[in-house]
Amino acid sequence: MQRGIAALLAAVGVVFSGLSVAAHHSFAAQYDRDKPITLKGTINKIEWANPHIYFYLDVVDNGAKTEWAIEGGAPSTLYRAGWRKDSAKVGESVTVDGFLAKDGSKLVNMQQAVLADGRKLFVGQQTFYQKGR
Amino acid sequence: MAARIGVVIGLLLTLVVPAAAQTAAPPDLSGFWINQYTPDLSAVLGKQPPFTEFGAERWRTVDTAKDPTAICLPVGPSRGFTAPFPFLLVQHDKMIAIMFEYQAIWRAIYMDGRGHPDDLADYPYFMGHSVGKWEGNTLVVDTQGIDERSWLDTAGHEHSAKLRLTERFTKTGDDTIRWTVTYDDPVYFTRPWSIERTFTRGKPGDRILPYTCNENNKDVEHLRPNQPNLKYKHVPEEKKPGG
Repeated sequence: MQRGIAALLAAVGVVFSGLSVAAHHSFAAQYDRDKPITLKGTINKIEWANPHIYFYLDVVDNGAKTEWAIEGGAPSTLYRAGWRKDSAKVGESVTVDGFLAKDGSKLVNMQQAVLADGRKLFVGQQTFYQKGR
Repeated sequence: MAARIGVVIGLLLTLVVPAAAQTAAPPDLSGFWINQYTPDLSAVLGKQPPFTEFGAERWRTVDTAKDPTAICLPVGPSRGFTAPFPFLLVQHDKMIAIMFEYQAIWRAIYMDGRGHPDDLADYPYFMGHSVGKWEGNTLVVDTQGIDERSWLDTAGHEHSAKLRLTERFTKTGDDTIRWTVTYDDPVYFTRPWSIERTFTRGKPGDRILPYTCNENNKDVEHLRPNQPNLKYKHVPEEKKPGG
């Protein structure tokens, strides 16, 4: 049962984490749903700013370091979901699942991010609305 | 006996008159309210709105990369109440102010009996010019002069400068408002059409948070043309007999 709830919550996180982008403009005008990607890297910067937060990952592949931009939700929705600007820190390792930008840049819309200790990062952005308090 | 009846009538009047006066006072809609996120109005309607030929062609070819809010233009009155961001409503006898978290923008609803200005078409507002009145316990707001660059929703339903919104706000409980909005735009739609949404009161202490769209709007550099409706086939509504 608990596993079922966890799976459901994960699914909700995946489904709704892109909605803040969708509020600001259509998801499909920027990202490609047919191009999912998983990246593992180290956070080098966090921009807790409107209309959407960004954080940047140093990803090392075959000894070469590449910086990727990761886009998340709006600061206000993240705040109401319990996240703070220091919930993740520069230097932490994170694995990001998301979708690639259509323009071919090193930019990903984050659907899920998991820190090294297993904590999910910046998900559940729509809790405020889904629960309809 | 007559004196006793008089006393009873007098007592009844003291009870009834204040109650009647209270009933006449409009409900207080003030507070922190949470919208129902509605990125596509047709999903609520259950079908596409009754497009004119022109409106249908605009919908078929709309490019969502050209969304006005993507470049931080104001959201317009329809999207303000359907975005996933809350708003504050402050009610006064002669004025109702609505302050949206989304893009930190506001609407003023003039309640002093005025109409729309004569030169409104020359000086449109992104959020429109709104006048309101009470019909019983329902606030009825008429909005015109809405800048045609705004969209009705994220999906890309557009409108012309002739759009007229009629909104009805009815408290359905201490913590809920039923919002019914009618879209009347002869350029885009063959007839007025409506949707209904519910606003839910936030918790005590909830506050509006910053939303400064220009602060870090990096998205705009990455938008690419996106026309999701190119296969849309317009089927005009059948005219009702005698209509």
